[in-house]
Amino acid sequence: MTIELIKPGAGRIAPAPRPLIRRDCGPAGCEVDWLASRRHEADLDVDAFTAFALESGWGDGLPLVPPTDTRVRAFLAKNDRYPDEVIACFPPMQTECTVEKIAINAVMAGAQPESLELLIAALTSIADPDFELYGVNTTTAPVYPAFVVNGPIRSEQGIPFGYGCLGGVATRAAAIGRAIRLILRNVAGQVPGVTSQTTFGSPGRIAGVVTGEWEERSPWAPLAERRGVAGNAVTSFGAMGTLNVIDTTSHRARDFLEMIGKSLAYPGCNGFSGAVPFAEMLVAINPICAEIVGREMPDLEDVQQCLWQFASVDASQLQSLHRDQLEQQGRIRADGRIYLTPEPKDMLVFVCGGLGGLHATGFHSFGTSLAQTRAIASPIPADPAGERAR
Amino acid sequence: MARGMVLDPTATRNEDVASPGPDAGVLIGKRIGFRVDRMWRAWDWISEAWADRLRAAGASVSFWRSGGRSGEEGLRMDRELAEFLKTIDVAIVGLANCGSCTSWTVRDAITAARAGLPTTAVATANFETFAHEIARRGGRSGLRVHVLPYPLNERVRDDVTAIGESHFYPLLETMGARLAARNDAA
Repeated sequence: MTIELIKPGAGRIAPAPRPLIRRDCGPAGCEVDWLASRRHEADLDVDAFTAFALESGWGDGLPLVPPTDTRVRAFLAKNDRYPDEVIACFPPMQTECTVEKIAINAVMAGAQPESLELLIAALTSIADPDFELYGVNTTTAPVYPAFVVNGPIRSEQGIPFGYGCLGGVATRAAAIGRAIRLILRNVAGQVPGVTSQTTFGSPGRIAGVVTGEWEERSPWAPLAERRGVAGNAVTSFGAMGTLNVIDTTSHRARDFLEMIGKSLAYPGCNGFSGAVPFAEMLVAINPICAEIVGREMPDLEDVQQCLWQFASVDASQLQSLHRDQLEQQGRIRADGRIYLTPEPKDMLVFVCGGLGGLHATGFHSFGTSLAQTRAIASPIPADPAGERAR
Repeated sequence: MARGMVLDPTATRNEDVASPGPDAGVLIGKRIGFRVDRMWRAWDWISEAWADRLRAAGASVSFWRSGGRSGEEGLRMDRELAEFLKTIDVAIVGLANCGSCTSWTVRDAITAARAGLPTTAVATANFETFAHEIARRGGRSGLRVHVLPYPLNERVRDDVTAIGESHFYPLLETMGARLAARNDAA
């Protein structure tokens, strides 16, 4: 066997949402605007509804907004999608995820109507077969989809990219992340102990990670643009959690990258497991460090090469059973090392975080779940003749 | 407090095949295919032990090893599995011994069952319920699942081989299979 290189599965049938529509069939709404979901009678008080939702298996334990017809219709009315449009099929249930189901769960999570196109782009990205959501949703691992948002939509929707952007800062991003988590629970059917065998789970499985990239402070092109999508876009990554790297000492680019790379290379991560054929790595570099690194390495490929080189372990340091398995798989290279990712290009880098600097964050991959990038559709501008308002 | 109607946030799947599918029947002369993986050495050892017993009974045996299921490798796996299923008469698919590997074991088993092959998935005890749940949600609640003890991969080879030997006839029962010589004699 030889090292498996990561190559996208060209030719797979990936879901492709239809173009946005203009719904101008009058004030009574269109026939297709009828909502098809089953109705349940419930107490509409938040506490009582939250208890009802938990009992029904819909909840995540936090307070939920009751998804009444009025709220769901209001959510949809601010967007340009028919509710019966199928956006994706999600494993393990292989059920159809319609715009209506997205809207219902988004309302429950407290997400704003303006977030629908971001939600759709995020959901289509993880529905791509190369994201391997089947494994992600069922595994014993704590993996969850983390999302990096690029483009002007970051400011329009308050997606954080500075202080506390990976969790803790108070923004609408938390509700967007929670909406995705509820959709994975209620539509995909991911339930711990039933369809998900996750041993520990993760804090990231409550409201996810929805962060922006601080493009304006990055010396390199935005992450999504480097992956072929300029402007408003979202990149999903099957993250096992976050790993913090502190460096209060280095001065030079190579020194920072050595500290980050070596810190990423711990033997028990999936990238070094004989059970996993390959893995990517996502690295968030803070703006202060990025500026220093960018001055010496304006070409991001040099950054990736440097990180990759240091994110490796000496095979002789592994226990023999582990080493033998990796050796049989041809993953020990001529220099006697095992590399976290097959190639430098698989080290994905973006810039975010507060101006205190000092830290980097690593997102280790589940393995066969490959990062996906999707454009975020822009709402149709309001008709000057007031056609939509009629 | 006000009562009102709320919309159901869940989606359900209705179609299901509750049948276990055809019995494997008399195995002599049949082509038995094992689906193995790159995770569980214990499954390699057990499937090899079972393969020896099946060959001795007059069946032929082949193996297909599942790898990564995304990217180009994933596409190659899909193609290889489809080709492999064309070369066998009976499928034994394992090992359901973790979360993702149970889901992929069941998924590949369902693929084999949908191809019309007598199919049995093999799970360890801790993942038995999960395997049935995933099979149900995959639209094949009747999928045959043979259960090995857990933990399994943590044991040494001699112990694992002994477990495999002790499970050979129970496996045949799950498969709806018979070794012709034994039954003819009876």
